[in-house]
Amino acid sequence: MLNIKNLYSGYIKLKILFDINLEVPTTEITVVVGPNGAGKTTLLNSIMGIATVFAGEIILDGIRLKNAPPYKVAQLGISYVPQMGNVFADLTLRENLMMAGYMLSKEELKNKTDQVLDMFPVLKGFIQRKAGTLSGGERRMLAIAMGLMRKPKVMLLDELSTDLAPLITKRVMESIARLRDELGITILLVEQMAKRALEIGDKAYLLVSGEIKYSGKASDLLHHPELSKLYLGIKEAE
Amino acid sequence: MFPPWLAGGLVYASALSLTAGGITLLYITTRTFNFAHAGMATFGFYITYIFYSFRGGNLYQYFPLSFLFGSLLGIICYIGLNKPLLRRQASTITLMMSTLGYDLILLSIIQMLCDYLSYTFKLYPRRVTMSAYDFEMFRTSAASIISPIIAITILTLLHLFLTRTKFGTSMRATIENPILASASGINSDKVYLMSWVIGGGMAALGGAVMSLTMTGTPVMGMTLIAQMFAGAILGGLESIYGGILGGFIVGLAEYVGIYYLAVMVGPWILGYRMALPLLIMAITLLLFPRGLAGIQWSYLMESIKRARKGVKS
Repeated sequence: MLNIKNLYSGYIKLKILFDINLEVPTTEITVVVGPNGAGKTTLLNSIMGIATVFAGEIILDGIRLKNAPPYKVAQLGISYVPQMGNVFADLTLRENLMMAGYMLSKEELKNKTDQVLDMFPVLKGFIQRKAGTLSGGERRMLAIAMGLMRKPKVMLLDELSTDLAPLITKRVMESIARLRDELGITILLVEQMAKRALEIGDKAYLLVSGEIKYSGKASDLLHHPELSKLYLGIKEAE
Repeated sequence: MFPPWLAGGLVYASALSLTAGGITLLYITTRTFNFAHAGMATFGFYITYIFYSFRGGNLYQYFPLSFLFGSLLGIICYIGLNKPLLRRQASTITLMMSTLGYDLILLSIIQMLCDYLSYTFKLYPRRVTMSAYDFEMFRTSAASIISPIIAITILTLLHLFLTRTKFGTSMRATIENPILASASGINSDKVYLMSWVIGGGMAALGGAVMSLTMTGTPVMGMTLIAQMFAGAILGGLESIYGGILGGFIVGLAEYVGIYYLAVMVGPWILGYRMALPLLIMAITLLLFPRGLAGIQWSYLMESIKRARKGVKS
């Protein structure tokens, strides 16, 4: 389980998150939603050691991560798929997967690559192409595939639906649900497309201006009469 | 085989291509404009000079030692200055100024070394003509043949390292996206350290090669730093290959260009030699603001082909 306690974090001297308490239970999808500029990406960057943690604790299965460098966090089993720049555009797909599985042995890398390509067969045809030539949807698939290469305990997914057509967004969300259901991976999903994310999520947090305004079941937030309308742009709570 | 101006030009251009390639590599990995390239290049020359003076033989056999010593200077610079500053998220200006400070330290050490060699061993290290110890190959100086071979070999090895090895690929990944690379488990510290090993080595090797076409002095690197940067900037500061090519073009154009200008307008122009690479850099950047790396070569070739067809028809 990933646990965040009384977290204050930001960049250099700028504080962005205030007193964040968050739990990501094992083999569940925890969704963090909120408006633009709420600090959702900073939350993931704080876990990964990219943002500065001023106070509080980040604990993965009893190990404290506070301000550990990103490569050490990755080695502990946390896999981060950022919103922007989530693939190496100048590298081929094979090289991208190789970099994603940097910590694996040669044998493990080969097996994991085959396994991941079986999960995303659409990528097989482009294996020698540069990632920069892929479409938006294909890039997101590659980004998720790269996240899986690291044999993660926890995956941090940052707004994977940005700039995608609704149909592609649906497919990406289905893929994320499969990661939990078929592979048993724990997921912390940060999303602006709140409705789609809350539909597949188990637990949810609403982050506004760097503070948690709601925590509870994802389905409850989705159907919350005021919060869903006020902060998430969901017009009719279903 | 080569006329003297071309022979000297090839040596000079090869040396500049090595140094400019190193500057570019360090910039794209660590955002650092390395002014200590001057001192590293000078040290490269002195390592070859010292070993040749004491052990004799073929001076080219000491070039690998120059490379290794340059790498050591690079490691010291990274661990002592660059790494702590990168951790503190220092600005590009701070990073650059720190290397200038390091360069002044290197210059002082070189001056002390020269004094030591003069007083203790009665050598004359402050004005060294290394070309006097070169030999002839195919009726030309060996340097004019070996220097381009060295530059091409380094370029090929670097290309193979970056494209065929896991660590080399991780360097390319870190250059493109350091955050994603780090989040993938790649230790960027190791990548940056390797950049300084290669960059420092290339600077020192470039200095050793350079001493075969100009008088070796303690300030040799300082007098050439503008040309080194001109080559790197002409290359676009985006690609190592661009930097190596930029250095070669600047070097050859300066050496050959000044020769022709002196023939045309008189020897007084030789005093303005340093202006030539800067002029070439300025004109190229006016035409192609992102340098050679920013030129879309396939598009350019296609346009030339179309223009040619148009002329024919």
